[in-house]
Amino acid sequence: MSSENTTGHTHGSDYEIVYPQTPLSAEQKEQILVNLQKIVGKRNVSHRELDRLSYSRDYWPIALRWMLEGKVPALPEFVVWPETADHISRIMRMANEENLAVTPFGEGSGVLGAAIPVQGGIIVDMKRMNAVLALDDTNLTITVQPGINGMNLERFLNQKGYTLGHIPQSLYCSTLGGWLACRAAGQFSTKYGKIDDILISLEAVFPQGTIIRSKPVPKSSTGPRIDMLLLGAEGTLGIITEATLKIWPYPEKRVLQSYVFSHLEEALESIRIILRRGIFPAVARLYDQVETERHFYRTKKTRGKCVLILILEGDRELVDLEGSVSHAVCTEHGGISVGEGPAAHWLETRFNVKEISEFTPRDVVFDTIEVSVMWDKSMELYQSMISAMKSIDGVIIASAHASHFYPQGVCFYFTFGGTPMTGSPTDFYQTVWDAAMKACLHAGGSISHHHGIGILRSPWVQQELGSSLEVLRTIKKALDPEYVMNPGKMGL
Amino acid sequence: MLEEFKKYFWIAKAISRLALSTQKEVVVRFLTAKKKYLPDGKTKAHVDDILKCALCPNMCRFDCPVLQAAKSETYAPAGRARIAYLLEMGRVSSQDAVDLMYACAACSACQQWCPFDFSVDDLLIGVRRDLVDRNLAPEMLMGIRDQIVNSHTIYQNSRTSLGLEPREADILYVAGCTVLNKERVIAQTTMKILEKVGIAVTTLPEEWCCGAPLNLLGFENDFKEFAARNADIIEKSGCKKMICSCPECVYTFKDVYAEAGFPVKADVMHTSEYFLELIEQGKIQLKELNKDLVYHDPCVLARKLHIIEQPRRVLEAIPGVSVREPPLTREHTRCCGIGGLLAMTNPELSVTLLRARDSELCELADTVVTACPACKIAFKRTRNSESRDLSEIVFESMNQ
Ligand SMILES: Cc1cc2nc3c(=O)[nH]c(=O)nc-3n(C[C@H](O)[C@H](O)[C@H](O)COP(=O)(O)OP(=O)(O)OC[C@H]3O[C@@H](n4cnc5c(N)ncnc54)[C@H](O)[C@@H]3O)c2cc1C
Ligand code: SF4
Ligand code: SF4
Repeated sequence: MSSENTTGHTHGSDYEIVYPQTPLSAEQKEQILVNLQKIVGKRNVSHRELDRLSYSRDYWPIALRWMLEGKVPALPEFVVWPETADHISRIMRMANEENLAVTPFGEGSGVLGAAIPVQGGIIVDMKRMNAVLALDDTNLTITVQPGINGMNLERFLNQKGYTLGHIPQSLYCSTLGGWLACRAAGQFSTKYGKIDDILISLEAVFPQGTIIRSKPVPKSSTGPRIDMLLLGAEGTLGIITEATLKIWPYPEKRVLQSYVFSHLEEALESIRIILRRGIFPAVARLYDQVETERHFYRTKKTRGKCVLILILEGDRELVDLEGSVSHAVCTEHGGISVGEGPAAHWLETRFNVKEISEFTPRDVVFDTIEVSVMWDKSMELYQSMISAMKSIDGVIIASAHASHFYPQGVCFYFTFGGTPMTGSPTDFYQTVWDAAMKACLHAGGSISHHHGIGILRSPWVQQELGSSLEVLRTIKKALDPEYVMNPGKMGL
Repeated sequence: MLEEFKKYFWIAKAISRLALSTQKEVVVRFLTAKKKYLPDGKTKAHVDDILKCALCPNMCRFDCPVLQAAKSETYAPAGRARIAYLLEMGRVSSQDAVDLMYACAACSACQQWCPFDFSVDDLLIGVRRDLVDRNLAPEMLMGIRDQIVNSHTIYQNSRTSLGLEPREADILYVAGCTVLNKERVIAQTTMKILEKVGIAVTTLPEEWCCGAPLNLLGFENDFKEFAARNADIIEKSGCKKMICSCPECVYTFKDVYAEAGFPVKADVMHTSEYFLELIEQGKIQLKELNKDLVYHDPCVLARKLHIIEQPRRVLEAIPGVSVREPPLTREHTRCCGIGGLLAMTNPELSVTLLRARDSELCELADTVVTACPACKIAFKRTRNSESRDLSEIVFESMNQ
């Protein structure tokens, strides 16, 4: 990120812009405004300072801190709310002609700056494309527009007796489009899969305006899946405008189990065996000692231990059987059952997100880092990432839980918090991230399990992807020769 | 305190592992840093809380009717809090930013999901008070203030009483500005119900507005004057029980007056609560009424006063009545678009809210019943269904 700042240039405003842009000339601005209005209608375009400010950030923690320091990450020139794929296609054609950056926007809950319009241009907010188009009970699918809010989608499905099974912690504050663009994972993903597994087909607009539509079939063998290019592309290769997703009947029964283990290894081993036996708990969450103390201090028996919670759900008979097998596996591996308590506590409090609000104004720099690794390297990765973060001067806390599991491996979700003793908070933040990413790569992990790359992780993409990054860059160049789609992200 | 200590023990433990000199610095920073990020001078707004909200990922956004209608980040709860913060810090000052501070339906939908138990309207009231103090309140709102202060009601060319002679009674009925001026039928049926069951009830010779709009818009001093006058006149009525048709009046008399230092010395009740009491005492006799209804919970009644069961039990007590529940119901109800003076401050948004709620309701039954005159008026406007107040249904059933 640039450390050179420009002062907010709009009348009566007093803030610095971290990613400053040369403003468009008055004539250019007027011309583009008129063109955009022609495409989407007057009520769907804005260039008011207030709206531009409102789209200047996402939920990247360090960028949130900048607000306290009197800084604004970046200002778009225009905010546009398309209502159809055709609107977006025409916006893209215009953006190519005018060489204007286009940044898709869902609900700005991304945590790495992916939706920040670092090159100004146009924000394409997808929220006015939020319709439910079809619900199919026979095929167990739902077809929706991507601007739909997660909770509103899940509420709709629940009312009809279904679930999407995709329940990220940001369910209340993120959109389907954002999930697809970041390859998100819900808290119930061990059973239902990540959003990549839940997607059947989609409609999307490519950077030069081409609209594609993939076929809703359970599987096909018709060449590489072009639609899949959009998954995880964070809006750098196109804009998703519709998606057909798998759904499930709302679970008949839910079983809650909680265990304490003296060692993280034993608990990891239990989960590995459970999955190996073909049991996929909807929720499996394993907390190290520090996080156990943080979340379960009310349960005495958890003191000094690691807590594992399991939630099994689905068909009544199957769930009962899965519950008894997983109980047997956990107790055989040193787990002591502590009843439903901790699992119920997690269910109740899982959306209480307070940390950034509470700690940032206290000058505590705080963030989370999620990575994935195969089973054989899991403990090594955990230990080396914790030590790497702790080695940075000013880090007070480095801890982790594991919350998405596979028969082959695991996702660790680290948390660090600290207060820089010397240097700026932004530098401190970068240093901790750098140490963590290096340790992850060294231990053979992937630098992101489900949050994505955005701005923050861009420096490590080369090491993560190797020569695949060159291929990706070639694809980007072919699809988006003017580099208008969400520039400055993903190391592209 | 002990709970707080336990909650942060994990941090304390981590800090205790640091070198002694570092420990001290960390603790001092933790306790004092915040000051740097708050305004220097005194503010009426709780900027500390506004900042927490501005830094929240918008955990309530899916249920905020204003955002769901506007579909723009500017109207996101944390988005408004962020602009509020920038305004309070003097970093933005545009009229658009000022106007945004009034774009809230005061429906408290946010509060049910908020980890801090905030209702954004409460946060914004402080900002509006500061805007009033700095002479920055929008002109149109100054007009509303003048109207209320001069005529004692928000309605122009208005009435401030039911025109009845005060009399010796145990119960004081306060109809409220909206009922007096726009929905007199609610007062008429309520009075007739009480008369029919032989309850001695009196009214005020001149009802002043409870002051809710003044409070909402940040005219704190004017509000206090209204509160002082009303609390006094209620006390002088000698009634120990006071009933109101409007949930906003109940909330204001009961909770806001007490907070402002003018507690009302009577038991303030909403008519739905009182009707239920009378039904349970066998005083109200209900006869068969074959009707399919959908009940709409008014936001203030359900979420601020937690009166959810009582109106339902009143309706359920009527033989032949079938009550449908919309998908967003009880404490999860959705605003009709009138709350927080939204129809005045943001008429377009208000209509969008109304349409959204109305379409959910009229799918379920031809008659929408509610327990708030403002909601009733809103649903009447769409003409998609018959819109009735609970008192009208009760009265109709008594007279079958
Ligand atoms: C409190 C909290 C908890 C979280 N928990 C989880 C979790 O449990 N699991 C998880 O995976 N993530 C989680 N996240 C991260 C975040 O919610 C996800 O990355 C989410 O997918 C972002 O969705 P959004 O709609 O907010 O997208 P935005 O932040 O608005 O955008 C994210 C990226 O997607 C692009 N984009 C948005 N819509 C489209 C579209 N229609 N087409 C193409 N590109 C598009 C944007 O350009 C941007 O690059 C959490 C975040 C927070 C703040
Ligand atoms: S009070 Fe209602 S309208 Fe206002 S922010 Fe909260 S949910 Fe939105
Ligand atoms: S009201 Fe609460 S939940 Fe909503 S944005 Fe503010 S802090 Fe977050």
